[in-house]
Amino acid sequence: MDFYGYTGKILNVDLTNNKISVENAKVEDLTQFIGGIGMNCKLGAELLKPNTNPFSPENVIILGVGPLVGTITPGASRIVGLSKFPATGAIANSCGSMSFGFNLKQAGYDHVIISGKSEKPVYLLILDDHVELVDASKVWGQDIVETTNYLWKKYDGCGVISIGQAGENLVLGALTLIDKTSTFGRGGLGAVMGAKNVKAIVAKGTKGISIANPKEFKNLYKKQIERIRNYPQRNSWIELGMLRSLPINLMLTAKGEKKKARQASEKYYLKNLKKRRIACPSCPMADKDILEIKEGEFSGLITYTSSVINPLLMFTLDSLESANQAVKIFDLIGRYGLDSLTITSLFEFLGRMYDKGALTKEDIGFEWKRDYKTLTHLIEIIAKREGSFGNILADGWKKLAEINDTIANEMLTIKGLDVIFDPRFLRLGTMEFEQVVNPKGAHVASGGSPTYVGAGGTMEKFKNHFKRMGIPDSAIDRVFIPPLKEMGIHVGRLTRYSEDWYTVLTSLGLCARAQMNRFWGLELATEFYNAVTGFDLQLDDLRKAAERSWNLLKIMNIKEGFTRKNDKFPKEWFKPLKLGENELEFKDFFGGTIITVDIANQLIDDYYDERGWSKENGVPTQEKVKDLGLEKFL
Amino acid sequence: MAKSKSLVIIIHEEKCTGCRICQLICSSIYKQRFCPAEAFIQINDAYELTPKITFLDDCILCGQCAKHCLYGALELKEVEE
Ligand code: SF4
Ligand code: SF4
Repeated sequence: MDFYGYTGKILNVDLTNNKISVENAKVEDLTQFIGGIGMNCKLGAELLKPNTNPFSPENVIILGVGPLVGTITPGASRIVGLSKFPATGAIANSCGSMSFGFNLKQAGYDHVIISGKSEKPVYLLILDDHVELVDASKVWGQDIVETTNYLWKKYDGCGVISIGQAGENLVLGALTLIDKTSTFGRGGLGAVMGAKNVKAIVAKGTKGISIANPKEFKNLYKKQIERIRNYPQRNSWIELGMLRSLPINLMLTAKGEKKKARQASEKYYLKNLKKRRIACPSCPMADKDILEIKEGEFSGLITYTSSVINPLLMFTLDSLESANQAVKIFDLIGRYGLDSLTITSLFEFLGRMYDKGALTKEDIGFEWKRDYKTLTHLIEIIAKREGSFGNILADGWKKLAEINDTIANEMLTIKGLDVIFDPRFLRLGTMEFEQVVNPKGAHVASGGSPTYVGAGGTMEKFKNHFKRMGIPDSAIDRVFIPPLKEMGIHVGRLTRYSEDWYTVLTSLGLCARAQMNRFWGLELATEFYNAVTGFDLQLDDLRKAAERSWNLLKIMNIKEGFTRKNDKFPKEWFKPLKLGENELEFKDFFGGTIITVDIANQLIDDYYDERGWSKENGVPTQEKVKDLGLEKFL
Repeated sequence: MAKSKSLVIIIHEEKCTGCRICQLICSSIYKQRFCPAEAFIQINDAYELTPKITFLDDCILCGQCAKHCLYGALELKEVEE
């Protein structure tokens, strides 16, 4: 059959036998699971045997792009990767952007399944119908920037997913970068590629994507792009990128660090760091950064990032004295293929443990100092697995916890990954809560957090926002009945719908960042989907497809041994967080209620209830499984 | 004698983000599908420090790519011949 939007093709790459084949996707699967996240879950559930070692040839990497990717639909460039992740032991989807997904689609594939293990280092080359495992000895041992530059030069216009030395050395938290910009695979996708001897995946496509109903699509596009073009804040988003959403200078001011705060300001960024703005294909809200250190220490250094807030978050570390140092360190981390968020948390934590005496010079093998040099050294020993301490850190937080009880009890992690959104700082929204219940542990995801309305918003505004993201009428009242009335919104129940909304967006291939997400709603997404694919799905079909995908992911992880005991709020959250002179407490979204252990447990109970999962162990009930047609996956 | 007017597109490469919207528009009009590779405008080195923008001989200067570029990299101008 002729496919529109979709290519209808799944590329199979068997590394062990150097065998490449293409299979056809089934229409029934596409309408049940939509694309990106959803189809990845379906393929993963069929292919991954429970308790597979993440580093064994039996683990798979499944890449997926949704039906809107490759078209001009604004912000449709997402790529999703499913695997069993070594840092957590969970099966999860990770998402990224830039030009890889777009190119893969243009080359004629919706999904790529990579299995087995190559005997020698290779990169996977996908140029339309020409698919090849190419000897990678030229780039093995090189960093991500060097590798990407080499491949860009060789195949102009291609999209590149590459690992650095950390991935090659099986550092558990190693990730990949797409086009040396977008992080992809927090929790160890880079190490899974390393274990398979795959240095990079390269895609370049020239085939084109056809639309089922061009007239309808043109109308939808015209309206949507006009709304975006006329958005009053568009220029400032493009000027500042994500810095607009997280003013790091305020964090530094709160810590009493005025000089550093000035270097994390918008003005400083524009004058001293911003080189050029780049966009993912089809994006009208370009927010990726090419940075250049324009003067002073390390001047001339150029680095790419999905946002300047990444290096600036590192700048909150006491050890860094200037924004230039932060950019330099960030560049180093990216090159090796490490996770800058993890390194930031780790460095802060190790310093604290050292001061307490929970870590000694003997444990770590060198003199601990809170300075730039020590931080650089730490990054090097992790990426290269140098010495016994380097090896412990390369094996992740769980290994570090084995040193002693103080370390185990005080680290701020969920399922083996460092917490990204601390609710004591940002209060408890869906992004904070979701870290607890998502099988993949602490991570960055958005998709309908109440923060898009803001704590000052009226309940009517919240209601409209929730309707936009597709919460059905039958559920909306429950989202406004929290454990204590004064909390206003039930973040536990809301999170179910936030996850589903994120799943819809990402399965279609749409960017979920706040500045793009705000222009989408379930209704519009369904209209685009139908115009592009020629299918005739209803809102409820998309809703259900998202729910089905999420439940299937849960089923896979239950087989991996995850139960309610893994969905735990970190103990540290219930103690105040010291920030300069201030002490921040764990409060609800509006800041009026302190979250106690009991309230936290209630939120999890109700999240399960909203999902149709048992309270005792967080398992989908038989009814739910039947309703979603997932019996065969049990 | 009245002078006739024609369109020119002035390229500002430094403003280009590499979003490929221009190519997607051009190919959708003239090739009936979204296919940057077949567009009459080509963006090379899209994510390098300076992208290169070129118009192919087949371009009929309809100006649609410039109208849709959201970043000011393609400026549409009317000139007297
Ligand atoms: S010229 Fe404009 S539309 Fe084309 S890639 Fe550059 S910024 Fe995008
Ligand atoms: S001016 Fe018209 S024909 Fe020429 S590249 Fe632009 S859209 Fe294509």
